[in-house]
Amino acid sequence: MFRTGLDYMGLVVAYTRANIRAQMEYPGAFLSQVIAMIINDGAWVMFWVFFFSRFRVLHGWGLPDVISLWSVTAAGFGIANAIMGNSLQLAPLIIQGELDVWLSHPRAVLPHMLLGRSVPSAWGDAVFGYAAYVFFVRPDLARMVLFIILTFGTALVFVGLGILAGSLSFFIGNASSLADEWRNAVVMFSTYPPALFQGAVKWLLFSVIPAGFVSYMPVEALRSLSLMYASGALLGALGILAVSAAVFHCGLRRYESGNLISFNG
Amino acid sequence: MKEITKYGWIAYITARSHIAYAGEVFTRIVLMTVILYVFSRVWLAVYGVNSGPRLAGLTITQMIWYLVATEAFALSGPRTWYEVEQDVRTGRVAVQLIHPLSYGLTHLGKAMGERIVRFAIYMLAGVVIALAIAGPLRWTASGLAMFLAILPLAFLLDFLGHFLVGLCAFWLESVNGLALIYTRATMLLGGLILPMEMYPAALQPTLRRLPFASMVYAPGRMFVDPSGAVFFKAFWTQAAALIVFLCIVGAVQAAAFKRVFSNGG
Repeated sequence: MFRTGLDYMGLVVAYTRANIRAQMEYPGAFLSQVIAMIINDGAWVMFWVFFFSRFRVLHGWGLPDVISLWSVTAAGFGIANAIMGNSLQLAPLIIQGELDVWLSHPRAVLPHMLLGRSVPSAWGDAVFGYAAYVFFVRPDLARMVLFIILTFGTALVFVGLGILAGSLSFFIGNASSLADEWRNAVVMFSTYPPALFQGAVKWLLFSVIPAGFVSYMPVEALRSLSLMYASGALLGALGILAVSAAVFHCGLRRYESGNLISFNG
Repeated sequence: MKEITKYGWIAYITARSHIAYAGEVFTRIVLMTVILYVFSRVWLAVYGVNSGPRLAGLTITQMIWYLVATEAFALSGPRTWYEVEQDVRTGRVAVQLIHPLSYGLTHLGKAMGERIVRFAIYMLAGVVIALAIAGPLRWTASGLAMFLAILPLAFLLDFLGHFLVGLCAFWLESVNGLALIYTRATMLLGGLILPMEMYPAALQPTLRRLPFASMVYAPGRMFVDPSGAVFFKAFWTQAAALIVFLCIVGAVQAAAFKRVFSNGG
């Protein structure tokens, strides 16, 4: 078990290294996307700076809390798609019958497929998330360590969500737009204080739109240095990942090859 | 007249093709619903603790209807920059240049056809959602006339912005990043979520002189709280920005087309 885990860590490192090398074949395009994403995320932070310069508190949440929401979400989204970028592409891969290349690998399909691509702009999200947390929140060592652990938990939620949303294409045909909007909804809810949402919506935020595990529980853990919230966030992330893997493998039985010859590189 | 009709037909055909896909229309409605729901929760929380019924001169009902207009504008923006980038990357631009059509006006026709349909869908969805959340808004004929009068130039300016970003593909490997920055500039500097009056006082005069406010804030304000003074100010800003944008686009396009090489085949 431990050995398998180490093997997969090695696989992650090897794929990430290869993906970075591929991206750096076009350094201008890569860097411009990274910088643009940092500016994009920065624009949202500026919005909140303007907002809180006018209104000091929003339902008990101040600027550092909202920046924490943004940091955890951006860093988690960035890590997920910088390392496992194909989670964003799963729906088109299924529709166009392009999973064949991953099915021919001698090891598990899902990890190889997910690791096969890196999204350049996601590196910008990851850099922004960490930088914003350090500069705006100024955490102590314990919080910084917890932040790093929790961002990887959030990354697992995004990977799981990507697999779930993309796997819809196994069952309902072209689900690309639906998958995009589902992810957008999760990101949208994750970057606003949970205190704004009540009743049935709150339940949705811990199930269909798992913003609760993306940012609410991690930020609560960081605010109060609570291991209970941190454990809840990580267990939730693992639960979503497990469900998504089960749905993917269930859907894979319905997959039809596109008879395409393709190479990865 | 014949020339105008030609590009009018391009706009008409593009508009028809965007009505044809019911699934796409559905996802747009879902997106608008999520956005308006989240922002309405933010503003309901802010108005709930505010001492007076108005913020930036707007009631909560007007604020939510303001979001309907500004979000419909922002979300309906066509991906002209992507089309131009693809023309350049695939070499399609060389073929398009030999057609008896203006390259820029063809894209304008397509962009307007797409924009009008998408804007109408977002507005219709927004009206239903705003009625459910905030109740009806009292319109005046003059207010609606000013709103409708200021929209075409706002669409045109936004098209020129997107087109300019796309033309940069003649020099850059990817314009993804530039497009993202342009979109965020429109959001942050245009008053997409916060009306101009809510920005720090020191920034407001500068922001009002930029074209972004005349594209986003002005139509939004005309929709909910029409004012002749704001209308004429925005109109003159739009007219000045149009001249500047046309000069820049003309110069960049001329320089870009000099870089087109045709090798036959």
